[in-house]
Amino acid sequence: MTAVDPVSVEARLRDIQSITDAALSRLDDQDLLAELLDRTREVLQADTAAVLLLDFSSGQLIATAAAGLEEEVRQGVRIPVGHGFAGRIAAEHRPVILDRVDHTTVLNPILWSKGIQSMAGVPMVAGGRVIGVLHVGSLTPREFTSRDVELLQLAGDRAAAAVQSMTAAADRAAVTALQRSLVPSALPAVTGTEMAGRYIPGSGAVGGDWYDVFTLPTGHVCVTVGDVAGSGLAAAVIMGRMRSTIRAYALETADPSEVLGRLDRKMQHFEPDALATVVYAVIEPGVDRMHVALAGHFPPVIAHPGQPAKLADVQAGALIGVAPTARRPVTTVPFPPGALLCFYTDGLVERPGEVVDEGLDRLCQAVTAQSPEAACAAVMGAMVGSEPARDDIALLMIRRYAGRETDANA
Amino acid sequence: MPDTSFPVEMVSGVPVVATPEEIDITNADGLRTALLEAAGHGPRGFVVDMSRTQFCDTAGIHALVLAHKRASAQDSEIRLVITGAAVLRIFAVTGLDDVIPHFASLEEALAATSGSPDGS
Repeated sequence: MTAVDPVSVEARLRDIQSITDAALSRLDDQDLLAELLDRTREVLQADTAAVLLLDFSSGQLIATAAAGLEEEVRQGVRIPVGHGFAGRIAAEHRPVILDRVDHTTVLNPILWSKGIQSMAGVPMVAGGRVIGVLHVGSLTPREFTSRDVELLQLAGDRAAAAVQSMTAAADRAAVTALQRSLVPSALPAVTGTEMAGRYIPGSGAVGGDWYDVFTLPTGHVCVTVGDVAGSGLAAAVIMGRMRSTIRAYALETADPSEVLGRLDRKMQHFEPDALATVVYAVIEPGVDRMHVALAGHFPPVIAHPGQPAKLADVQAGALIGVAPTARRPVTTVPFPPGALLCFYTDGLVERPGEVVDEGLDRLCQAVTAQSPEAACAAVMGAMVGSEPARDDIALLMIRRYAGRETDANA
Repeated sequence: MPDTSFPVEMVSGVPVVATPEEIDITNADGLRTALLEAAGHGPRGFVVDMSRTQFCDTAGIHALVLAHKRASAQDSEIRLVITGAAVLRIFAVTGLDDVIPHFASLEEALAATSGSPDGS
């Protein structure tokens, strides 16, 4: 291959056009990446082009797409950030040109055994941080020029945008699937009660809010509503783990404080960076009383027939993930016939710039002892209205039938 | 739009981060960064002066908790100055009043400074 001739302005514009082509956007992201690599190879007259993406948890670059260098992807090449050619680009956040490719300059043996003589690579940057590296290689010795690097950077920026949109879409799809699988599709049938729940994702991203209701072999009914700090796939995954952890400990002890304490120990050991608020309640088999403990969560609202609803008088307890020996007192709350319990997450009551008590007051005014479905609708109408929710919201209502009502007329 | 800057000042040799009137999701990231930086300052701990803060939502609480955990892991300590009723309220609801030491004035928070003045 000959060295690139000084390109005319027109040819250069054509090259830029080829990489920034709006028509590329019509391809889906995976195809866009492949097409972009082909075009990059073409305009730079290179023999190989490859994208390595940064895996944040391991700090390694992983070969993800390649043209003329497919074995890099098929063999799952991994390069630690800071090492070798690609690792240097990612660590130093700048383009690197190599005119000697051997084991002293390049970590990946595929590159030198294939006979690549010269290489140029650029960082792929999205949201101010490096998410990967794009590099091209030539089988004949050549000097990549600063113009080549500029074009390559243009392609790198385009690839970064494509990858980001791919990751965001994959995350969103995974989170939505996870949320769907974790929020109970049908609430359990518990004699003497009726229930309804809502989960509304926030406008930013799906987050880590959840609710769960399950019965124990003893006939106790356990209720959890929680909120994992953060959003996106990471929060949703932790939420899923917390939900099953609570179910597991619920089988071992009927003491809500003990369940939250064990959950906290488990979380602090295995997920030391996670923070969450949880309300956990155990309703007695006769449905007369509820034993509830809080971990940094707002207390439930209770409404009695014909009376204004109020916050249940439950003692506060520390968030999950903060202190190894937090105490979370258990409060027993009577649950008389006709009463309605309302569990919720902070997204329902918090509004920017407003003291949370105002939101809690508004919630208490909106809750009345009526059928749970109607109560959910009334609360969502009063608290959310037509505004998109800023944060995600989980809401759960449980009503105990009044004296003469039965499950049959529910 | 809440203030997004978090000045760190040295008062009697102790880093003091002053928080703005409102802390919510729009500036909690900046607060977290400032607090985590202050948490790495040394064994004498640091003070978060929240006396100007009238409003703090759960995003702000999470930033404070992360800084508290970071400081504890380094045998250091975070001490808060809280005067606003709404902030005290969210502190009580989240059960943090038992976990993170807090004071009614900057003087009290500084007086409670642990460790020796030379930081050894």
